[in-house]
Amino acid sequence: MVRFIGLEGVGTKYELETKSGDRIAIIFLLNRRIQIYIQERSCDRPCSVELTETEAKRLSSVLGGVPIEKERESVEVDFMGVPDLTLAMHTYTITKRLHGKTIEELAIRKRTGANIVAVSRRGKTIISPPPHLIFEEGDIIVVIGDKEQIERFEKEIMGI
Amino acid sequence: MNIALAGLICAILAVASKKLSLPPVPAYILAGLILGETGFGVLKGDEVSNSIAEAGVIMLLFYIGLNLNPGEISEKKKTIFHSGLYDFVINFTLIYGISILAGFTHVQAFLIASALYISSSAIVLQSLIENRKLMFRESEVVIWIMVFEDIAIALLIVLNNPESSDLLLFMVKILAFTALTYWLSNHMPRLLGILFTRDDEIPVLLAFTAALLGIAFEEFFRIPAGFTAIMLGLMLSGIKNIREIVLPFKDVFLVLFFFFFGISVNLSSEGFVDGLILAAAAVAGKVISGMITGRYLFRSWLSGLEIGLDTVARGEFSIFLIFAFGTGKEVSAVTTAVIITSVLGAFLAKNSAKIRNMVSEFAERRFSSTQ
Repeated sequence: MVRFIGLEGVGTKYELETKSGDRIAIIFLLNRRIQIYIQERSCDRPCSVELTETEAKRLSSVLGGVPIEKERESVEVDFMGVPDLTLAMHTYTITKRLHGKTIEELAIRKRTGANIVAVSRRGKTIISPPPHLIFEEGDIIVVIGDKEQIERFEKEIMGI
Repeated sequence: MNIALAGLICAILAVASKKLSLPPVPAYILAGLILGETGFGVLKGDEVSNSIAEAGVIMLLFYIGLNLNPGEISEKKKTIFHSGLYDFVINFTLIYGISILAGFTHVQAFLIASALYISSSAIVLQSLIENRKLMFRESEVVIWIMVFEDIAIALLIVLNNPESSDLLLFMVKILAFTALTYWLSNHMPRLLGILFTRDDEIPVLLAFTAALLGIAFEEFFRIPAGFTAIMLGLMLSGIKNIREIVLPFKDVFLVLFFFFFGISVNLSSEGFVDGLILAAAAVAGKVISGMITGRYLFRSWLSGLEIGLDTVARGEFSIFLIFAFGTGKEVSAVTTAVIITSVLGAFLAKNSAKIRNMVSEFAERRFSSTQ
């Protein structure tokens, strides 16, 4: 059960209590830093850490149970309002063998069911890339799909 | 008055006070006192420094208004009211009574009580964050108390306004302005929101002007600038970008305000003694009102002690009220009390856990020995 409350002048607080009675509070401060408090049931004072935004995102990936590697990582997104919906997004780096090919030519969606939702090229992000986009070596692509689609994508397209 | 020099002095003090984890506000004021009339008299205020000081407080109040979202407040109005009620009643009456006993007039005592009732949101909230207290239920109450006080300020500005030649007209103007801004607050984001998402200089220029508009309103309509600034902030609180734009301006101008205020004050020894007495009352008042609030909300005196210790620090609002409406020795008294309570308040908030333990051990020993 998550309790959510806006704290005027401080930020936003999320509180949850685990089944075993341990408590966690997460506060998103106005200065964009994040404080996390954890308190064991038998303990009368909580411990806390303060994270930057990037650190918090890393932590959320770890908690999401996804592999964290530089080349291939994935992020799971849950929505508070839609508890049954989990989206997993995976990133891959375009290798030499895909250089110069387009999404259309590779027929990624038809062959694997997975979708490319974004391409990051030299620090710029292209959201929903058009089918005629030509891949360049070093592009980082973000792929969305269920487990089987991702497996097929890795095997057939990336050749891993 | 050299503004760059003032800025440099304040920057050095800010670094030093952060290192020592002390609130910077009393440092700015003290530096002003030492260099100004009270101390060596090296620096003097002039028209420019006065305008900057005025801009600083107006921006502070505008910023407070921006953070008072009418929708969110009315959702939590019960919680806010129950948290802030004892704080207001006890501290205001206590300081008012002590001021009368110390020989101030009723008008002066009312002003002193208004100024010293209000804690420093800046110091209090910062110390909740720095001392990692945000998980506790007591901290939420402290935050609601700060919101209650923010609303109370608007009222206290109006009540302390000396413009009482035509009270009826004044009240009509205030009410009309309040109703107008409240009504406009529902429409502003839709009407003006688009102007604040541009990427040229227009959003910054507009936000800066809006923040200072209170001063113009005072000149044209004779309603207090501070009150106008809060209401204008409240009116625009639905537009998120303004907050981010105004924040850096507010930070700079407010720091300079404290320093220039310190320069302009002529601290009298008589006012200093009154200040010591008022500081003691101010600390005791917050501890007592905190304990009663904790007892009332959580059935725990110790929770209340935490609330009390967290809210001792006075600061920006006390200085603003005394700057705007004070004339005589009450300025010295409140300035002294603010310097003492801000430093002491930061210390008490930091060590509240230790103090709570000491008090509960002491209470237990007393309790078991009488059995």
